[in-house]
Amino acid sequence: MNGKENGMNTVTLRVNRFTPRPERGRERGGSPFARKSSPFGDSGASARRRPRGKQWVQEYTLSVRPEDTVLDCLLTIKRTIDPTLAFRYSCGHGICGSDAVAINGTPTLLCTAMVRDWAKPAGTQVDNEGFRHTGDDFQPVPAQDGDDLGVIELAALPGFPVRRDLVADIDQMLDQIKKLKPYLQANDDLATTEDGKIDAFEYLQNPQQLAKYELLSNCIACGTCEGSCPVYAGGEAFIGPAALIAASRFINDSRDMQTAARMDAIDSADGIAACQSVRACSRECPRGIDVGEEIWQLIAQIKER
Amino acid sequence: MYDAVIVGAGAAGLSAALGMLRSERMRQMRASGIEPNVLVISKLQPLRSHTGAAEGGIAASLGNIEKDDWHWHYYDTVKGGDWLVDQDAAKLLAQEAPATVIALEHAGVAFSRTEDGHIAQRRFGGHTKDFGKEPVRRAAYAADRIGHQILFSLWQQCVAEGVEFAEEWYVTDLVVSEDHDKVEGVVAFDTHKGETHAIHARNVLVATGGAGRLFHTTSNSWDLTGDGMALALSAGLQLEDGEFVQFHPTGLAHTGILLSEAARAEGGVLRNADGEAFMERYAPWHADLAARDVVSRSIMAEIDAGRGVADPKNPEGPKDCVWLDMTGIDADHMRKVLPQVVETIEKYANLDPAHDYVPVKPTAHYTMGGIPITTDGEVYRWTDGGRAIVEGLFAAGECSCVSVHGANRLGGNSLLDACLFGTRSGKALAQRVADDPVNDPTAEPSDETGIDKVRQAADERSAQIRDLLVQLPEDDEAAQDNPYRLLADLGSVMERAVAVRCDQRSIEQGLHTLNDELTPRAEALHAHSDSSAFNQEITAIWEVRHLIELGKAVLSASDARHESRGSLKRLDFPERDDEHFLAHSMTDVTGQVSWQSVHIVDMPPKAREY
Repeated sequence: MNGKENGMNTVTLRVNRFTPRPERGRERGGSPFARKSSPFGDSGASARRRPRGKQWVQEYTLSVRPEDTVLDCLLTIKRTIDPTLAFRYSCGHGICGSDAVAINGTPTLLCTAMVRDWAKPAGTQVDNEGFRHTGDDFQPVPAQDGDDLGVIELAALPGFPVRRDLVADIDQMLDQIKKLKPYLQANDDLATTEDGKIDAFEYLQNPQQLAKYELLSNCIACGTCEGSCPVYAGGEAFIGPAALIAASRFINDSRDMQTAARMDAIDSADGIAACQSVRACSRECPRGIDVGEEIWQLIAQIKER
Repeated sequence: MYDAVIVGAGAAGLSAALGMLRSERMRQMRASGIEPNVLVISKLQPLRSHTGAAEGGIAASLGNIEKDDWHWHYYDTVKGGDWLVDQDAAKLLAQEAPATVIALEHAGVAFSRTEDGHIAQRRFGGHTKDFGKEPVRRAAYAADRIGHQILFSLWQQCVAEGVEFAEEWYVTDLVVSEDHDKVEGVVAFDTHKGETHAIHARNVLVATGGAGRLFHTTSNSWDLTGDGMALALSAGLQLEDGEFVQFHPTGLAHTGILLSEAARAEGGVLRNADGEAFMERYAPWHADLAARDVVSRSIMAEIDAGRGVADPKNPEGPKDCVWLDMTGIDADHMRKVLPQVVETIEKYANLDPAHDYVPVKPTAHYTMGGIPITTDGEVYRWTDGGRAIVEGLFAAGECSCVSVHGANRLGGNSLLDACLFGTRSGKALAQRVADDPVNDPTAEPSDETGIDKVRQAADERSAQIRDLLVQLPEDDEAAQDNPYRLLADLGSVMERAVAVRCDQRSIEQGLHTLNDELTPRAEALHAHSDSSAFNQEITAIWEVRHLIELGKAVLSASDARHESRGSLKRLDFPERDDEHFLAHSMTDVTGQVSWQSVHIVDMPPKAREY
């Protein structure tokens, strides 16, 4: 499929693929040697433990419009070229958070990434870690065909075990979020009347109080912040930015009564102390949360109490 | 053996889980040391459920901003549904709405607030005061993210309750007894391991959402494939009012992504290929702000008359869109009051609404019909003129039909339906669990000598999977096909057959194509990889088969209703006909349609005029 049809361009998707070998009764995390230094889960260990199977890089060249999303491209591949390509997707417009992958090494959502923003000339490829090739083997950029937009590299979300193609196992993130009791713990006296019935009134909260956590409550748990974090994705014991945002969401909610306990829970070596303030977590947040700044504020709050 | 299996983890499924676990009966049972065995099965990770995409609000006569009354909400709901609403159910919906919204707030939803700290409310189409007199602020909202807030808060509360989830498991079979009088369990496919499980359960609740993917252009996520409805049909049960599908008039061209009605409220105008502002011709009074179904039909009429335009993204494609002209709105004002609309247009159409016309097209949005349920969420069969309850089987949310939406749903009532009737069905389910818990130490060992239908179904499914994984030779015709292509073709067929409008000819053509072309293709599908773990193609094959079965039922029901009502426009029967069709269609898997009278309690049918 080359050449220009109806104002179309071509782009090549270079996809890091993986097909697992069938499991033979081996339970997850069964190794007695797995490193489990963190009470929040084994992010480091499971990130390193790759399931066995076939790994390869596959290229697909297709006709696109520059304003198509990368998800559009992958759906076209599934429909017309290769129905075996695996990737998560659902709402298709940045709300459900299911389709975080690494595009050219950067964690972001497939459905909000436009071809025009991510295609790059064929000579400048980056490796899986997002580094450009330099040094002796560096090849100058070849002249581009006018209609060829170049290459987009795709890999599963960094920091998580790959299960198949672009599908990562993000359970560790959800487990870490769950460990911090991510649910409103209000003063129950307000919620029930004297005879134990559910109170007919809402907890009052004025717009200024809402503004303190509203943005944080928009987190869709997509994992782009986690995949961007060199500490988390690098495999160190760290509860991760997503869990800290979830904790902060309740710490800043005027209705919640467990602020002190919540702060205690993250005031640990693999909690806020593990954050190195790199702030890569803020770059691709699809909900516009300045994750790094929020964590910084959280650290200040905890240290100053 | 499970006490309860809940299939689906959106607003309805999670509300049911919480309604059950937090009911009085369940508290007592757990206090006496008996823990229920409950499993929530979801084909997605729960936080990805489509509930999260709802933007506008949830309706309740809280009266936080101005005086409101549940009687008015009740009336609006019945009228909006073009009198095909079961009034006993709609009455409950309106009465229990305030408590439902308060419970969501207590669960953590970050509602927008009034200055004095109460839940803020906004106007919504069709919600009025004094029985239709003027608009009322009834929709409680959280900026434009109410669905996300509700989904996350409900999931968080389930975490608090320690609910067990089977995530990314796909339910392939709903198993009921031979006589359809009792549920036996489900068969589920663990997509991670590629294994089938026979899951026995005394109670099953189906909450799998809608079926927007029946149509090419839809606001629904890729996962809304009508699974629960198709499972019920396959199990020998019926679909109620399947012919009623709401189309939102302004989806962003072929993406189907919604552009809020607010775009027209702020001055946006619909134009045809000639540049004519055509809505004035169809609805002289309300023009571009007429009711959703009216605007959708007018757009379709323009397209049918050859005055449509092509999506600029696909200029050689069909001329099946019209223009939304927002250039008359001040650019700064537009960005301030319509941020989401502007962002969607910029991002997904690559257009500047301040300067460019935007292509729009009606987009399949909501299925009013579904698995028939009582107001306690019990699934029943309509047989011999009566309701025969399927013992232990429940349903809730968009996949169900308690008939509060009738022939056309009001905005703000879908989340309410899912949360309210989800909770009610959870409570009803708790009664049954508490009456006869699996873990009851005093119970006699049950006599389970009968045929294990669940095991049987699971074995058949496993055999089918082995067959699906057999690689066809490349020159085999079926090897060239795949479920994703078939899904796209099905969407086009359904679009031509019944989207927004239909007649006998279009319905028959659709049925013909589904029966003679798409069904054989679906049956011949095989996966293109023989590795079953995370093999998305296997699930996609089942999904498209589900959609085709459901599509046939939708077409059969549309064929049987010889009138136009609410979202259903039959060009060959343009008027509402209360004499013959003030009744719910009950369609089975063979396409047989029977009729169940509408429950009229307080309000005799009137003309639906706005």
